[in-house]
Amino acid sequence: MRMSRHVERRTFLKAAGASLAGAGLTAAGCGAGSGSSGGPVTIRYAWWGADDRAKKINRTVALFEKKHPKIKVKTDFQQYGDFWKKFNTQAAGGNPPDVFQNAIGFLRKYDAKRVLLDLDAQAKKGNLDLGDFRAGLEKFGVVDGRLLGVPVGSNSMGLIIDERVFEKAGVTPAPGWTWDDWDDALVKIHDKAGVAGDSGPFGIMYLYDLILRQNGKAFFTEKGLGFTESDLVPYWTESMKRVRTGLYADQKKVEQIKPKSALAAGLAGGEFTWDNFTARYSAEGKSSYAIAPIPTADGKKTGQYLGSLMLSGSARTKHPAEVATFIDFMVHDPEVGRIMGYDRGVLSTNEQYEAFDPTDPVSKKIAAYEKQIAAAGTLETITPHPAGADVVEAAFLRIAADMALGKAPVEESARQFFTEAKTALGS
Amino acid sequence: MGTPPVTQLEESVRQVADKAPAAGTTPSPVRRRGRKDGLIGYLFMSPWIAGFLLLTAGPMVASLYFAFTDYNLFDSPKWIGLGNFSEMFADPRWRTSVEVTAKYVLIGTPLKLLLALGVALLLAQSRRGQAFYRAAFYAPSLVGASVSVAIVWRALFSDDAVVDRAQTFLGMDVGGWIGDPAWVLYCLVALTVWQFGAPMVIFLAGLKQVPKELYEAAQVDGAGPWRRFWHITLPMISPVMFFNVLLETIHSFQIFGSAYIMSNGSCGPADATLVYTCYLYQQGFENSRMGFASAMAWMLLIAVGLVTAVLFWSQRRWVHYEEASR
Repeated sequence: MRMSRHVERRTFLKAAGASLAGAGLTAAGCGAGSGSSGGPVTIRYAWWGADDRAKKINRTVALFEKKHPKIKVKTDFQQYGDFWKKFNTQAAGGNPPDVFQNAIGFLRKYDAKRVLLDLDAQAKKGNLDLGDFRAGLEKFGVVDGRLLGVPVGSNSMGLIIDERVFEKAGVTPAPGWTWDDWDDALVKIHDKAGVAGDSGPFGIMYLYDLILRQNGKAFFTEKGLGFTESDLVPYWTESMKRVRTGLYADQKKVEQIKPKSALAAGLAGGEFTWDNFTARYSAEGKSSYAIAPIPTADGKKTGQYLGSLMLSGSARTKHPAEVATFIDFMVHDPEVGRIMGYDRGVLSTNEQYEAFDPTDPVSKKIAAYEKQIAAAGTLETITPHPAGADVVEAAFLRIAADMALGKAPVEESARQFFTEAKTALGS
Repeated sequence: MGTPPVTQLEESVRQVADKAPAAGTTPSPVRRRGRKDGLIGYLFMSPWIAGFLLLTAGPMVASLYFAFTDYNLFDSPKWIGLGNFSEMFADPRWRTSVEVTAKYVLIGTPLKLLLALGVALLLAQSRRGQAFYRAAFYAPSLVGASVSVAIVWRALFSDDAVVDRAQTFLGMDVGGWIGDPAWVLYCLVALTVWQFGAPMVIFLAGLKQVPKELYEAAQVDGAGPWRRFWHITLPMISPVMFFNVLLETIHSFQIFGSAYIMSNGSCGPADATLVYTCYLYQQGFENSRMGFASAMAWMLLIAVGLVTAVLFWSQRRWVHYEEASR
């Protein structure tokens, strides 16, 4: 058995790097590490999510390894917050996973740090097919002309509602309903169903973005924030009034039941979030849940766009061709679509979308909702968030929650947010 | 942490022993043997020395440098002088973290030591089942440092959990402690107080050292139990007390795990459990501001150093060593 010195050293370095990062990677047999040798190649695939997603992803990986026997895939997953802490540390140490789940808020951040693989080159070599994506998703992972991620599923913001509560209150939301209609609904739900109408949406960046877009602004521009304190203060002032009057849920209770959602816990009749969360809430809660459209300012414009989870490659990977092959398989193979379902949003390619025929009522609702917003023709394009956006989003959520718990008055909270946002976006 | 390597101690002892009889006799073979022993000693110590240099001293020097830079892990550090420190003092969240930590230390440490001393006094008397009681009281501090206990604590004190239900049953409808910014810190305090086992064992050892004759003599002179405690027990165990105060105070400043886990990593609600190290962690690993985090770490070191110095200075007034009275 001949093993070149070069391979030996590289395998050793790889193993050393991986064990430092706590990944515990073991070299996969003789000759691993050199793509040209024709032997088996190991790539690392990291993603965030919970156990049920883990089961599905493991099945898709097993399928991939069966069809591509020369590529081995090692998976690694954490919860969302822990995922990015670990990823950040690994990336800084020059040892990020070869392929990983990604989201729009991180594209510019890691692109600026030269962590992301430009997949365009691989697409040109024929290792990655960029055709057949559903409308609105073709250019999703493109930033400044570079392809940094490929969407695996699409989702959009919606108002997830407790159907029983809304029925009791006699409220039936319809596309094009306005914020005034929603205000009336909050009062009706509070008075007739005896529960808060919403869990308190004032800290959800993606919802505030829609409200801003309905008014011709946006949460983020390419470089920084697209709104000012004079936008935020009235929004939060009104929100605090609703917390006090019980139209929004008791924030202390909302805090206590985390990480469970206030809607699933029965503390509120509705909650703004991503449409594919309907599945999670249905599993968590006791009632039946549906997706209502986002209220509008003018009866038409929702400000909505498709959000999405993506797969990205590492710029440091030694196997860009295999990474591209893997991503190609994960977004195009019909069987993968059938296994994953709408776990990461509605499937992104037509091949997978048609292969998966949702039979459970929740998936049907999600599919119907996305069909409806696409048909309405109001979908916009998302601005790839500036570097530091993830820290800004976390600060927005935290400061809003602190304010609602009475830590600081509205003006002071808004000022604090803009101070922190400036620091995060400036670095 | 920080136990002196046995080899080093042994080595110096042997060197002294070697030298003492060597006076006047042939010195050369002894010195040669001493040097050889020394070499072997250092050889045995080398894993520890390497570990110290690589994992403690090296990172500390690096962190001292980063404290004066803007460093996001990816780009090379930018020297900004005292920028991190001036930003720190202007940052309301940093001030919050200092306040929360100070509160935790000032409330938690004395309570923990009082309880440790109280239970040690009870357990010092010989009675049946003593070994069981000692083990039972010590057990929490064995498991206490682990993540699982913080999770259990969270489960106990959250909304509609055991504590909340018991309170409601007693007519105190205040809700769970975890989600209440006014109460959640006391949850952390309760958790640390509950883990009083380690100082208790040290107190017990101290109590056993107090000579019985002193109590007998005092009793003959008509001193009651309170007087005996105040004038014999306390002064006699004051060195042990000093040791416990010092250790527990330093330990309290470094609280992280329980605050982080009980709040699901947010150190909230409303920053109510934002202890110093938690904010340091958030800045370093969530916001990728390693320079700022390093500066915070050095501030903590300085603060703990100052507190330790004050404690050492104060011991002259209240700690009695037997040697001093002789």
